[in-house]
Amino acid sequence: MNFLKKLSVRSPWLYRINAGSCNGCDVELATTACIPRYDVERLGCKYCGSPRHADIVLITGPLTARVKDKVLRVWDEIPEPKVTVAVGICPVSGGVFRDGYSIEGPIDRYIPVDVNVPGCPPRPQAIIEGVIKARDVWMARLGLQE
Amino acid sequence: MLGFLKILARNVAQGPSTDPFPFAETHTPRRFRGKVTMDPAKCVGCAICRHVCAGGAIRIEPREDRSGYDFTVWHNTCALCGLCRHYCPTGAITMTNDWHNAHLQERKYDWAEHHFVPYLRCTGCEAHIRMLPPDLATRVYANHAHDLDFPALLRMCPKCRQVAAATRAAALNAPADVDDAASAGSGNGNGSRPAAKAAAANEETTPATPHTVKDGGRTDADTPRATAG
Repeated sequence: MNFLKKLSVRSPWLYRINAGSCNGCDVELATTACIPRYDVERLGCKYCGSPRHADIVLITGPLTARVKDKVLRVWDEIPEPKVTVAVGICPVSGGVFRDGYSIEGPIDRYIPVDVNVPGCPPRPQAIIEGVIKARDVWMARLGLQE
Repeated sequence: MLGFLKILARNVAQGPSTDPFPFAETHTPRRFRGKVTMDPAKCVGCAICRHVCAGGAIRIEPREDRSGYDFTVWHNTCALCGLCRHYCPTGAITMTNDWHNAHLQERKYDWAEHHFVPYLRCTGCEAHIRMLPPDLATRVYANHAHDLDFPALLRMCPKCRQVAAATRAAALNAPADVDDAASAGSGNGNGSRPAAKAAAANEETTPATPHTVKDGGRTDADTPRATAG
Protein backbone atom coordinates (compact mmCIF):
# COMPACT_ATOMS: atom_id res chain seq x y z
CA MET A 1 0.00 0.00 0.00
CA ASN A 2 2.81 2.31 0.90
CA PHE A 3 4.45 1.47 -2.39
CA LEU A 4 1.30 2.40 -4.27
CA LYS A 5 1.11 5.62 -2.32
CA LYS A 6 4.66 6.46 -3.27
CA LEU A 7 3.99 5.77 -6.91
CA SER A 8 0.84 7.80 -7.02
CA VAL A 9 2.39 11.02 -5.73
CA ARG A 10 5.33 11.17 -8.08
CA SER A 11 3.56 13.51 -10.45
CA PRO A 12 2.91 16.97 -9.07
CA TRP A 13 0.64 18.95 -11.31
CA LEU A 14 1.49 22.54 -11.99
CA TYR A 15 -0.79 25.51 -12.03
CA ARG A 16 0.12 28.98 -13.22
CA ILE A 17 -1.13 32.25 -11.78
CA ASN A 18 -0.33 35.48 -13.54
CA ALA A 19 -0.38 38.17 -10.86
CA GLY A 20 0.04 41.09 -13.24
CA SER A 21 3.13 39.86 -15.01
CA CYS A 22 4.51 41.43 -18.18
CA ASN A 23 4.15 37.96 -19.78
CA GLY A 24 7.89 37.43 -20.07
CA CYS A 25 7.93 34.82 -17.34
CA ASP A 26 4.69 33.30 -18.65
CA VAL A 27 6.30 32.80 -22.03
CA GLU A 28 9.21 31.05 -20.33
CA LEU A 29 6.76 28.92 -18.35
CA ALA A 30 4.98 27.93 -21.55
CA THR A 31 8.36 27.15 -23.11
CA THR A 32 9.33 25.04 -20.12
CA ALA A 33 6.35 22.75 -20.47
CA CYS A 34 4.99 22.96 -23.96
CA ILE A 35 7.95 22.44 -26.25
CA PRO A 36 9.95 19.23 -26.33
CA ARG A 37 13.25 21.02 -25.85
CA TYR A 38 12.73 21.77 -22.14
CA ASP A 39 9.96 19.23 -21.48
CA VAL A 40 9.09 19.55 -17.79
CA GLU A 41 6.75 16.57 -18.23
CA ARG A 42 9.79 14.31 -17.91
CA LEU A 43 9.50 15.00 -14.18
CA GLY A 44 5.89 13.89 -14.13
CA CYS A 45 4.70 17.48 -14.01
CA LYS A 46 1.98 18.83 -16.21
CA TYR A 47 -0.03 21.99 -16.37
CA CYS A 48 -3.63 21.66 -15.31
CA GLY A 49 -6.52 23.97 -16.04
CA SER A 50 -8.16 23.98 -12.64
CA PRO A 51 -6.60 25.13 -9.40
CA ARG A 52 -8.37 22.27 -7.62
CA HIS A 53 -6.17 19.74 -9.39
CA ALA A 54 -2.89 21.48 -8.70
CA ASP A 55 -0.02 20.58 -6.38
CA ILE A 56 2.60 23.16 -7.28
CA VAL A 57 1.56 26.68 -8.13
CA LEU A 58 3.84 28.94 -10.15
CA ILE A 59 3.16 32.63 -9.64
CA THR A 60 4.48 35.33 -11.94
CA GLY A 61 4.06 39.08 -11.71
CA PRO A 62 4.36 41.66 -8.93
CA LEU A 63 0.77 41.28 -7.63
CA THR A 64 -0.96 44.39 -8.89
CA ALA A 65 -3.71 45.99 -6.84
CA ARG A 66 -6.32 45.11 -9.43
CA VAL A 67 -5.54 41.41 -9.56
CA LYS A 68 -4.72 40.85 -5.89
CA ASP A 69 -8.10 39.60 -4.67
CA LYS A 70 -8.50 37.28 -7.63
CA VAL A 71 -5.06 35.79 -7.12
CA LEU A 72 -5.70 35.18 -3.44
CA ARG A 73 -9.07 33.58 -4.21
CA VAL A 74 -7.63 31.25 -6.83
CA TRP A 75 -4.68 30.42 -4.59
CA ASP A 76 -7.09 29.51 -1.76
CA GLU A 77 -8.82 27.02 -4.04
CA ILE A 78 -5.69 24.93 -4.45
CA PRO A 79 -5.90 22.01 -2.03
CA GLU A 80 -3.29 21.47 0.66
CA PRO A 81 -0.51 20.45 0.66
CA LYS A 82 0.47 22.94 -2.00
CA VAL A 83 3.85 24.38 -2.85
CA THR A 84 4.16 27.95 -4.08
CA VAL A 85 6.93 28.94 -6.46
CA ALA A 86 7.57 32.59 -7.26
CA VAL A 87 8.90 32.82 -10.82
CA GLY A 88 10.78 35.96 -11.82
CA ILE A 89 12.02 38.85 -9.73
CA CYS A 90 8.60 40.53 -9.64
CA PRO A 91 6.80 38.15 -7.27
CA VAL A 92 9.98 37.65 -5.25
CA SER A 93 10.77 41.30 -4.53
CA GLY A 94 8.65 43.52 -6.76
CA GLY A 95 11.54 43.73 -9.20
CA VAL A 96 11.63 46.86 -11.32
CA PHE A 97 8.04 47.65 -10.29
CA ARG A 98 8.79 47.70 -6.58
CA ASP A 99 7.12 50.57 -4.69
CA GLY A 100 4.90 51.36 -7.68
CA TYR A 101 1.53 52.91 -6.84
CA SER A 102 -0.40 49.93 -8.16
CA ILE A 103 1.85 47.19 -6.79
CA GLU A 104 0.75 45.24 -3.73
CA GLY A 105 3.61 42.73 -3.84
CA PRO A 106 6.06 41.21 -3.14
CA ILE A 107 3.85 38.19 -3.10
CA ASP A 108 5.08 36.76 0.19
CA ARG A 109 3.22 39.54 2.01
CA TYR A 110 0.02 37.61 1.31
CA ILE A 111 1.01 34.10 0.28
CA PRO A 112 3.57 31.81 1.93
CA VAL A 113 6.14 31.24 -0.80
CA ASP A 114 8.36 28.13 -0.69
CA VAL A 115 10.73 28.47 -3.62
CA ASN A 116 12.01 31.59 -5.41
CA VAL A 117 13.28 31.56 -8.98
CA PRO A 118 14.61 35.06 -9.65
CA GLY A 119 15.41 36.20 -13.16
CA CYS A 120 13.94 38.61 -15.65
CA PRO A 121 12.82 36.17 -16.92
CA PRO A 122 14.56 33.06 -15.57
CA ARG A 123 15.63 30.71 -18.31
CA PRO A 124 13.63 27.48 -18.70
CA GLN A 125 16.34 25.40 -17.07
CA ALA A 126 16.20 27.63 -13.99
CA ILE A 127 12.43 27.17 -13.83
CA ILE A 128 12.90 23.40 -14.07
CA GLU A 129 15.42 23.65 -11.24
CA GLY A 130 12.82 25.54 -9.19
CA VAL A 131 10.17 22.94 -9.94
CA ILE A 132 12.54 20.21 -8.75
CA LYS A 133 13.13 22.09 -5.50
CA ALA A 134 9.38 22.59 -5.16
CA ARG A 135 8.80 18.89 -5.71
CA ASP A 136 11.23 18.08 -2.89
CA VAL A 137 9.37 20.46 -0.59
CA TRP A 138 6.09 18.86 -1.64
CA MET A 139 7.38 15.33 -1.00
CA ALA A 140 8.62 16.40 2.41
CA ARG A 141 5.22 17.84 3.18
CA LEU A 142 3.60 14.55 2.24
CA GLY A 143 6.06 12.77 4.51
CA LEU A 144 7.73 10.98 1.61
CA GLN A 145 11.42 11.77 1.28
CA GLU A 146 12.94 10.44 -1.89
CA MET B 1 7.77 7.71 -48.99
CA LEU B 2 11.53 7.82 -49.28
CA GLY B 3 11.63 11.33 -47.83
CA PHE B 4 9.89 10.12 -44.71
CA LEU B 5 12.42 7.33 -44.29
CA LYS B 6 15.25 9.81 -44.66
CA ILE B 7 13.84 12.01 -41.90
CA LEU B 8 13.26 8.99 -39.68
CA ALA B 9 16.82 7.78 -40.16
CA ARG B 10 18.20 11.24 -39.43
CA ASN B 11 16.15 11.61 -36.27
CA VAL B 12 17.20 8.20 -35.00
CA ALA B 13 20.82 9.08 -35.65
CA GLN B 14 20.56 12.50 -33.98
CA GLY B 15 18.80 11.39 -30.84
CA PRO B 16 16.34 13.47 -28.84
CA SER B 17 16.52 17.24 -29.04
CA THR B 18 15.34 17.65 -25.46
CA ASP B 19 17.73 19.56 -23.25
CA PRO B 20 19.19 17.06 -20.80
CA PHE B 21 19.23 19.58 -17.97
CA PRO B 22 17.88 18.09 -14.76
CA PHE B 23 19.72 14.84 -15.42
CA ALA B 24 22.87 16.20 -17.06
CA GLU B 25 24.61 19.50 -17.60
CA THR B 26 23.05 21.88 -20.08
CA HIS B 27 24.70 24.22 -22.54
CA THR B 28 25.11 27.78 -21.29
CA PRO B 29 26.27 30.42 -23.74
CA ARG B 30 29.57 31.97 -22.73
CA ARG B 31 28.13 35.49 -22.64
CA PHE B 32 24.86 34.53 -20.98
CA ARG B 33 23.85 37.25 -18.52
CA GLY B 34 23.67 35.48 -15.19
CA LYS B 35 24.42 36.59 -11.66
CA VAL B 36 26.16 39.93 -11.24
CA THR B 37 29.54 39.84 -9.58
CA MET B 38 31.88 42.58 -8.43
CA ASP B 39 35.64 42.76 -8.02
CA PRO B 40 36.34 44.80 -4.86
CA ALA B 41 39.91 45.48 -5.99
CA LYS B 42 38.67 47.57 -8.90
CA CYS B 43 35.67 49.33 -7.32
CA VAL B 44 36.07 53.06 -6.68
CA GLY B 45 32.66 53.52 -5.07
CA CYS B 46 31.36 56.01 -7.63
CA ALA B 47 27.90 54.39 -7.30
CA ILE B 48 27.01 54.82 -10.97
CA CYS B 49 25.88 51.16 -10.86
CA ARG B 50 23.42 51.98 -8.09
CA HIS B 51 22.23 54.98 -10.08
CA VAL B 52 21.50 53.05 -13.29
CA CYS B 53 20.21 49.86 -11.66
CA ALA B 54 16.67 49.26 -12.94
CA GLY B 55 15.59 47.08 -10.07
CA GLY B 56 17.40 48.92 -7.30
CA ALA B 57 19.42 45.81 -6.55
CA ILE B 58 22.68 47.53 -5.65
CA ARG B 59 23.33 49.05 -2.28
CA ILE B 60 26.47 50.97 -1.33
CA GLU B 61 26.73 52.09 2.27
CA PRO B 62 29.74 53.74 3.89
CA ARG B 63 30.46 52.42 7.38
CA GLU B 64 30.07 54.77 10.28
CA ASP B 65 33.61 54.22 11.52
CA ARG B 66 34.85 55.30 8.06
CA SER B 67 36.74 52.08 7.57
CA GLY B 68 35.20 51.54 4.15
CA TYR B 69 31.91 50.84 2.46
CA ASP B 70 29.68 47.82 2.01
CA PHE B 71 28.66 46.82 -1.48
CA THR B 72 25.66 44.55 -1.85
CA VAL B 73 23.85 43.33 -4.90
CA TRP B 74 20.64 41.44 -4.18
CA HIS B 75 20.03 38.90 -6.94
CA ASN B 76 16.35 38.70 -6.10
CA THR B 77 15.62 42.10 -7.58
CA CYS B 78 18.31 42.16 -10.25
CA ALA B 79 16.77 42.24 -13.72
CA LEU B 80 20.04 41.01 -15.29
CA CYS B 81 19.93 43.94 -17.72
CA GLY B 82 23.69 44.54 -17.53
CA LEU B 83 23.49 48.33 -17.21
CA CYS B 84 25.79 48.29 -14.17
CA ARG B 85 28.41 46.41 -16.14
CA HIS B 86 28.00 48.77 -19.07
CA TYR B 87 28.42 51.93 -17.02
CA CYS B 88 31.07 50.75 -14.55
CA PRO B 89 34.05 53.02 -15.30
CA THR B 90 36.61 50.60 -13.92
CA GLY B 91 35.15 47.31 -15.12
CA ALA B 92 34.66 46.17 -11.54
CA ILE B 93 31.18 44.80 -12.19
CA THR B 94 30.87 41.82 -14.47
CA MET B 95 28.20 39.24 -15.10
CA THR B 96 28.86 35.56 -14.77
CA ASN B 97 26.93 33.03 -16.80
CA ASP B 98 25.72 31.33 -13.62
CA TRP B 99 21.94 30.99 -13.88
CA HIS B 100 21.44 28.59 -10.93
CA ASN B 101 19.21 31.02 -9.14
CA ALA B 102 16.38 28.89 -7.76
CA HIS B 103 16.47 28.83 -3.97
CA LEU B 104 14.25 28.14 -1.00
CA GLN B 105 12.39 30.95 0.72
CA GLU B 106 14.63 30.73 3.82
CA ARG B 107 17.53 31.99 1.73
CA LYS B 108 15.62 34.81 0.08
CA TYR B 109 17.36 37.64 1.88
CA ASP B 110 20.89 36.26 1.76
CA TRP B 111 20.67 35.52 -1.94
CA ALA B 112 23.07 38.39 -2.49
CA GLU B 113 26.66 39.19 -3.21
CA HIS B 114 28.33 41.16 -0.51
CA HIS B 115 31.72 42.88 -0.47
CA PHE B 116 33.48 45.15 1.93
CA VAL B 117 35.71 47.72 0.26
CA PRO B 118 38.15 49.32 2.70
CA TYR B 119 39.24 52.93 2.73
CA LEU B 120 42.83 53.89 3.41
CA ARG B 121 44.38 56.95 5.02
CA CYS B 122 45.85 59.52 2.68
CA THR B 123 49.62 59.65 3.20
CA GLY B 124 49.47 63.44 2.99
CA CYS B 125 46.54 64.55 5.13
CA GLU B 126 45.25 61.38 6.85
CA ALA B 127 41.82 61.67 5.19
CA HIS B 128 39.84 58.48 4.61
CA ILE B 129 39.93 57.78 0.90
CA ARG B 130 39.28 54.98 -1.52
CA MET B 131 42.56 54.03 -3.15
CA LEU B 132 42.71 54.84 -6.85
CA PRO B 133 42.77 51.40 -8.51
CA PRO B 134 46.10 50.92 -10.29
CA ASP B 135 44.70 50.06 -13.70
CA LEU B 136 42.46 53.11 -13.59
CA ALA B 137 45.44 55.24 -12.65
CA THR B 138 47.48 53.98 -15.58
CA ARG B 139 44.70 55.15 -17.86
CA VAL B 140 44.30 58.53 -16.19
CA TYR B 141 48.06 59.18 -16.11
CA ALA B 142 48.67 57.59 -19.51
CA ASN B 143 51.15 60.31 -20.53
CA HIS B 144 52.99 60.41 -17.22
CA ALA B 145 53.63 56.75 -16.67
CA HIS B 146 57.37 57.23 -17.07
CA ASP B 147 57.91 60.14 -14.65
CA LEU B 148 55.51 59.44 -11.77
CA ASP B 149 55.89 57.46 -8.57
CA PHE B 150 52.69 55.43 -8.88
CA PRO B 151 52.51 53.53 -5.59
CA ALA B 152 52.91 56.75 -3.61
CA LEU B 153 50.49 58.65 -5.81
CA LEU B 154 47.71 56.09 -5.44
CA ARG B 155 47.77 56.40 -1.68
CA MET B 156 47.08 60.13 -1.72
CA CYS B 157 43.75 61.93 -1.65
CA PRO B 158 42.88 64.02 -4.71
CA LYS B 159 43.93 67.26 -2.99
CA CYS B 160 47.31 65.93 -1.91
CA ARG B 161 47.85 64.56 -5.41
CA GLN B 162 47.21 68.05 -6.71
CA VAL B 163 49.72 69.53 -4.30
CA ALA B 164 52.24 66.85 -5.18
CA ALA B 165 51.79 67.55 -8.87
CA ALA B 166 52.27 71.27 -8.31
CA THR B 167 55.41 70.78 -6.22
CA ARG B 168 56.78 68.43 -8.78
CA ALA B 169 56.11 70.90 -11.56
CA ALA B 170 57.72 73.71 -9.58
CA ALA B 171 60.76 71.56 -8.90
CA LEU B 172 61.13 70.80 -12.56
CA ASN B 173 60.89 74.53 -13.23
CA ALA B 174 60.05 74.14 -16.87
CA PRO B 175 57.22 76.42 -18.04
CA ALA B 176 56.15 74.10 -20.85
CA ASP B 177 55.78 71.26 -18.40
CA VAL B 178 53.89 73.22 -15.76
CA ASP B 179 50.77 73.48 -17.89
CA ASP B 180 50.75 69.79 -18.57
CA ALA B 181 51.38 68.72 -15.00
CA ALA B 182 48.86 71.19 -13.59
CA SER B 183 46.11 69.98 -15.85
CA ALA B 184 46.84 66.37 -15.00
CA GLY B 185 47.04 67.20 -11.31
CA SER B 186 43.79 69.11 -11.23
CA GLY B 187 42.12 66.40 -13.26
CA ASN B 188 42.69 64.10 -10.38
CA GLY B 189 42.41 66.90 -7.89
CA ASN B 190 38.79 67.85 -7.73
CA GLY B 191 37.29 64.64 -8.94
CA SER B 192 39.25 61.70 -10.17
CA ARG B 193 36.11 59.84 -11.14
CA PRO B 194 34.71 62.21 -13.76
CA ALA B 195 38.15 62.45 -15.29
CA ALA B 196 38.45 58.73 -15.33
CA LYS B 197 35.02 58.41 -16.84
CA ALA B 198 35.86 60.89 -19.55
CA ALA B 199 38.99 58.93 -20.30
CA ALA B 200 37.04 55.70 -20.28
CA ALA B 201 34.35 57.15 -22.53
CA ASN B 202 37.00 58.34 -24.93
CA GLU B 203 38.50 54.92 -24.99
CA GLU B 204 35.21 53.16 -25.50
CA THR B 205 33.76 55.32 -28.22
CA THR B 206 36.97 55.71 -30.18
CA PRO B 207 39.22 52.80 -29.37
CA ALA B 208 41.81 53.77 -31.96
CA THR B 209 42.06 57.40 -30.85
CA PRO B 210 45.61 58.72 -30.84
CA HIS B 211 46.93 60.15 -27.60
CA THR B 212 46.58 63.75 -28.67
CA VAL B 213 42.80 63.57 -28.95
CA LYS B 214 42.44 61.80 -25.62
CA ASP B 215 44.55 64.50 -24.03
CA GLY B 216 42.40 67.19 -25.59
CA GLY B 217 39.25 65.64 -24.16
CA ARG B 218 40.66 65.47 -20.68
CA THR B 219 42.03 68.98 -20.70
CA ASP B 220 38.72 70.40 -21.92
CA ALA B 221 36.83 68.61 -19.21
CA ASP B 222 39.19 69.85 -16.53
CA THR B 223 39.75 73.43 -17.54
CA PRO B 224 36.77 74.89 -15.61
CA ARG B 225 37.78 73.06 -12.49
CA ALA B 226 41.37 74.16 -12.86
CA THR B 227 40.31 77.80 -12.98
CA ALA B 228 37.79 77.41 -10.19
CA GLY B 229 40.17 75.57 -7.91
